[in-house]
Amino acid sequence: MVKHKHYRPPGKKKEGNAARYITRSQAVKQLQVSLPLFRKLCILKGVFPREPKKKVKGNHHTYYHLKDVSFIQHEPLLERLREIRAYERKVKKADAKKNRDRANLLRQRRPTYRLDKIILQRYPNFIDALRDLDDCLTMVHLFAALPAIEERIEVKRIHNCRRLSHEWQAYISRTHKLRKVFVSVKGIYYQAEVKGQKVTWLTPHPLQQVLTEDIDFNIMLNFLEFYEALLAFVNCHLYRSINVKYPPILDPRLEALAADLYALSRYFDANSRSAVLDPQAPSLSGSGNVESQQIGDSVSESELRLAQLQHQLPSNEPGALMHLVKDVAGEEEEDDDTRECKKLFKDMKFFLNREVYRESLLFVIPAFGGTVSWEGDGAPFEENDESITHQIVDRPMHGRQTLARQYVQPQWVYDCINARIILPTGGYLAGRDPPPHLSPFVDNEAEGYVPDYAETIKQWKAAGRSEVLPLPGVGKEDLEDPQNLLAEGVIDRAKAKEAVEKKKKMMALEKQYHDELNKELHGVPHSSSVTNIDNHISGKETEDKEEFDDDSELAKLTLTRKKRGKLEAIEKGIKRKKDHIDVIRERKRKLRESQKSKEG
Amino acid sequence: MFEVQPYVDWFKWDDSKHPLSNAPEPKRRFIPSKSESKLVNKIKLAIRKGLIKPKKPKEEEEEEESVYPLWGDDSNSAGKNDHLSYIPAPKPKLPGHEESFNPSLEYIPTQEEINSYQLMYEEDRPKFIPKRFTSMRSIPAYENAVKECFERCLDLYLCPRVRKKRLNIDPESLKPKLPNRNDLKPYPVSCYLEYRGHGDAVTSISVEASGQWIASGSLDGTVRIWGVETGRCLKHWKIGEAVKYVSWNPNPEHSILAVSTGQDVLLLNTGRGNEEVQKSTKELLSVEMPMPDDSGKTASSVSWLQDDQLEGIRLRHSKTVTSVEWHRKGDYLSTVMPADILFAHIYTYFYIIYYFKHDTDGFRAIFIHKLSKKFTQTLSFKLQGPAVTSVFHPTRSFFFISTKKIIRVYDLVKEGKLVKKLETALREISSIAVHPSGDHIIVGSGEGKLCWFDMDLSSKPYKTLKLHQKDINNVSFHRSYPLFATCSDDCTAYVFHGMVYSDLNQNPLIVPLEILRGHSSTNGRGVMDCKFHPRQPWLFTAGADSVVRLYCH
Repeated sequence: MVKHKHYRPPGKKKEGNAARYITRSQAVKQLQVSLPLFRKLCILKGVFPREPKKKVKGNHHTYYHLKDVSFIQHEPLLERLREIRAYERKVKKADAKKNRDRANLLRQRRPTYRLDKIILQRYPNFIDALRDLDDCLTMVHLFAALPAIEERIEVKRIHNCRRLSHEWQAYISRTHKLRKVFVSVKGIYYQAEVKGQKVTWLTPHPLQQVLTEDIDFNIMLNFLEFYEALLAFVNCHLYRSINVKYPPILDPRLEALAADLYALSRYFDANSRSAVLDPQAPSLSGSGNVESQQIGDSVSESELRLAQLQHQLPSNEPGALMHLVKDVAGEEEEDDDTRECKKLFKDMKFFLNREVYRESLLFVIPAFGGTVSWEGDGAPFEENDESITHQIVDRPMHGRQTLARQYVQPQWVYDCINARIILPTGGYLAGRDPPPHLSPFVDNEAEGYVPDYAETIKQWKAAGRSEVLPLPGVGKEDLEDPQNLLAEGVIDRAKAKEAVEKKKKMMALEKQYHDELNKELHGVPHSSSVTNIDNHISGKETEDKEEFDDDSELAKLTLTRKKRGKLEAIEKGIKRKKDHIDVIRERKRKLRESQKSKEG
Repeated sequence: MFEVQPYVDWFKWDDSKHPLSNAPEPKRRFIPSKSESKLVNKIKLAIRKGLIKPKKPKEEEEEEESVYPLWGDDSNSAGKNDHLSYIPAPKPKLPGHEESFNPSLEYIPTQEEINSYQLMYEEDRPKFIPKRFTSMRSIPAYENAVKECFERCLDLYLCPRVRKKRLNIDPESLKPKLPNRNDLKPYPVSCYLEYRGHGDAVTSISVEASGQWIASGSLDGTVRIWGVETGRCLKHWKIGEAVKYVSWNPNPEHSILAVSTGQDVLLLNTGRGNEEVQKSTKELLSVEMPMPDDSGKTASSVSWLQDDQLEGIRLRHSKTVTSVEWHRKGDYLSTVMPADILFAHIYTYFYIIYYFKHDTDGFRAIFIHKLSKKFTQTLSFKLQGPAVTSVFHPTRSFFFISTKKIIRVYDLVKEGKLVKKLETALREISSIAVHPSGDHIIVGSGEGKLCWFDMDLSSKPYKTLKLHQKDINNVSFHRSYPLFATCSDDCTAYVFHGMVYSDLNQNPLIVPLEILRGHSSTNGRGVMDCKFHPRQPWLFTAGADSVVRLYCH
C-alpha cells in the first residue's frame, strides 16, 4: 500500500493545521450556501481568510479558520438570508404564474434584517469602530458622489450616503476635530482626530465619476450596506456624546423644501448644549428668506451645508458672550490641538467665488473657526459686505478689486490649515501660480528630503511662535536677505544667524557650481557625484565617510548569517529611499540650472 | 376582489330568425359559488391565525429602521471576546508630496523619465505619475476612483491576513557591541614599504626568527632575501622552477631556508648571521653521499641529494610538494604533496571501466624529514582525500593535517595516534594556522570563510566568518600580539584582533580591525601570502602583482 503524504490511520482525528483550516470551497459546502451568499456573509461579519503556517491543501487555495466558519454558521443572519432567498423564489413563482395579487402581497412583506448586533459583535467598543472607520468613510463619501445607476445603485442609498457623510462632517466641523487636509489628484484627503484616533478619509473631486465595466457592484454594495449601518451608529454615538439627539426630527416645512440638511442643522443647533441663546436668529431669518427661493431640484446642497455649519459655530459669532462663557467651561475637556485649530481662522470672514469648489471649503473653514459665505442663493452675507477679509478666487481676476480684502486662491486655505498658521498671501494671490501644495502626511526629516517650501513654512512658523506674525507679502525673496528681515523685526537673532549661515552655504554652493562650470569650459572632466554637495564643501568629510564605511563593513563581518540578512534587507530599503531622493535632488539641480541659464 | 365590468350587449336581437337558446337559466347561476367561499374561508382562517397581517403603514417601518446608541456611555463595558483574534486590515498608504495636485517641480518626472518607464518591468513601473495643475478648478476627475475603492474592497475580504512583526529595528542595533578599534592598537594599518624585484607573482614569504630578513619565493623561479627595514634585496637564487613555498628555519642557530619547487625541496644556506651560525649551518647542509636508507619505503620516494650549485640539500620527492613546515626546534621538517591529480587506474576489461583512487596517496602525502640525521619518515595516516597542508603544534607533539574538509590532529609521540578530528563544514580548506598557545586554530577556505576552532571547546568551529569575496589563500597568527590575518584573491588582507583568555569560561574575542588594500589583481589572483613580523605588529603580504608589501601600525 502506498502511504499518502498526509496519511492518517482510520479512527485518528485530524490535528494541527489540517484540522484548523479549511479551504473556501469546503467552507461553502459546510455552510450550505452559495458563493455570493458566502461572500456577503464574510463581508458583513468581517471574516477574512487567514494564512496557515502549513497549507495542507496546497498553495493556490484560500484558507478560512474553522472557528471563523462556525462563527458564520451560528449567525442568525444566515437563517434570515435563507428566508430572503425563499421569499424571492415565492415572488418569482407568483410572477411566473401571473398571480399578480399574490406577488404584490408578497412584495409588501419583504423580510428584512438589521446589522446592529453584528456591528456590536465586530466592534465591542466604540474606539474599535473608530479605528476601522477609514474605509467606511471613504466609501460612503465616494458613493455620495456617484450617480444612481438603474438596477445597480438605488437613489435612496445615494441619498442616505450623502446624509450620513454630511452628518459626519457636521460633527467634525462643529467639534473642530479636523487636523489635516490634502488636495491630491485622487481627491481631497481629510484627517480628523476623534477620541484620540486618527481617522483619515478621501472624498472624490465633485465631478462626474468614471464607472468602468470591470467592477462588481454587488461586492461594493455589500460593503456599503455594512458601512452605512456602521456610520449611522457611529454618528449616533458621537451626536449623543455632545448632547444632540441623533435621529434628527426635521422641520416639516424645510423638509418640504427639500432642505432636509438645513433642517437637520437647525435641529442640531437647537439641541446642542450651547443653544441657550440663539445668536443666529438674524442670520437664520436671512437664510429663511433664501430658502423660499430655492424650491425644486436646483437646491445646492453645499449651500445647505454652509447654513448647517454656520449654525454649528456659535462661539465664533461676535458678541455671543454667553456662548463664550459656556465654551470656556467646555474647553477644559478639549485638548490643545482642538483649541489651536479653533482659533486659526478666528475673526476672519471668507467669501467664495462662484467657480470655487464650495463643499470642501464650507466644511473646512468653519472647522477652523472661520466664517464663510458664497456667491449665490442662501448666502449669509453678500459679496459687498465690508467686513469680508478674504475672498477665495480660482481664476484670473479681471473685475474690480476691493482693497480691504485679499483675493486668494483656495489652496491658501488648505496650506494655512496644514501649517497651522496664517500664511502670507503673497504667493497665493488670484491669477498667480501658487507655491507647491505639500502633503501634511509626510515626515520630511524622516524622508530625508525637505522641499523648499516646507522649509519656508517652517521658518514662518518659527517666526510666528515668537508672537510676531510676518507681514503679508513677506515672501521667499525676503528670506534671502536676513538683514532685511532683521530690520523688519520679523525674526530674532538666532534665526538671522541661521539664515546667514544658510546664505553662506548657498554662496559656497554657487561658487562651487561656478568653479565646475569653469572647469567644464576648460575641458576638465566633470566630477562624478555633483549631487553630493556637502562632500565637496570639505574634503575632510569624504575621508570621514570612507572610514565610516570601512567601519560598518568590519562590524558586519562578525554577524551571524541571519542577522546579516536582516541588516542587508534594511540597508537595501534605505538605499532605495536614498536613490529616490537622489533622483529628486538631481531634478531640482537641473531645474535650477535651466532657470539660471534662462535668467543669465 | 373580482371586479365585474358592466355588461355590454353586443348582439343584435332584431334581425335574427331563430332564438339562440331557449333553455331556462341553470341553478348554479343563482346559488353562491362554492370554490369562492372556500377561498374566502381560507383567507379568513389565515387572518384569524395571524398568518396574513394587515399592511403596516410605511412610517412605522422606517421607525423600526432607526438607529439607537449601540455602545454604552462607558465604552469599556463590553466583555472579553472569546472569538479568534481580529486582525485589522492594514490602512491604505497616506499620500506623499508627489500626489499633490500642485507638487513641487522636482517631483514631476521629465518626459525622458516617463519614456524610460516603458522599458521597466510592469511591476516596477510607477503606478502614479505626478502632474501639476496650476489651479484647483482645473483638476480633472480621477478616473480610477471607483476602481481603487473596489480593489480596496477586494483586498479587505479576499486577502489572507496574518500578523507579522514589522521589522522596525535600528540597523546599528543588529551589529554586535565590539570594543573600539583604537583601544586595540597597535595593529598594521598602512603600507610602509614595498619590496619590488620579482618578475612574477610572489607565492610565498617567510620571516626570519629575529625579524631582520624576509625570504620570498616567486613563480619566476627565484628566491630572494630582503632586509626588512631597508627594503633591499640582499640575496637571490635562481632556481629555475616556479617556487611554491619558502619557509625559514625557526632555529636562530641555523640560517636555513626551505624552498619547495616542483618535486624538490631545497634547503639553502641564506648566509645570514655570524660565523658561528654559518659554520653550524654549513655542517648541517652537507650530505656525504646519497644515503642508502635502511627502510626501503622512504628511500623509494624521497632522496637526499647535495646541490653544489646552490650550496644546499635537495630533497627529491615523487610528486609536487606544496608546503614545507618546520618544527619549532628547527630539526624536523614536514612536506605535503597534495595529490590534486586523482590517480585513476583504468582497467578495460569486457567493456567495463573501473575508476578508483590510488590507495596509497593518503599514506604517502606527508613526509617528516629530520635534518640532523638526513632521515625521512613517512607517516601512515589514513586520510580520506588528499592532504592540503600540515602544521606542527607550537608546544606539544601534535601534528595537524588538513584535507579539504576535515582537520585531523595526531600525536607524533604516540606513533601517530589520532587525537582529534575537527569538522569545519567548509568546502575547501586552503590554509590553517595555529595560535601560539596551541589551543586555537584558524582555518581559511576557498569560499572566503574563516573558521576559528577552540580545541578545548568542541570539534565544531567556535565561529565561522564570511569574509572575502574570493578564496582565502592564507591565514596567519602573530606570535606575541593578539592579532591574526587573512589574505585573499580579492586583493585584500583582513587584520583581526583575536584575544584568547586564560580563563576557560571566557570565549575568545574576535574583532575585525582593518582591511588592508593595495595589491592589484593579476590573472585573477590577489594576495597570495601573509605573514606577521615575529616581534612587531607588522604584516607582510605577497601579491600576485609580484610585490611584497609591509604594513605597519
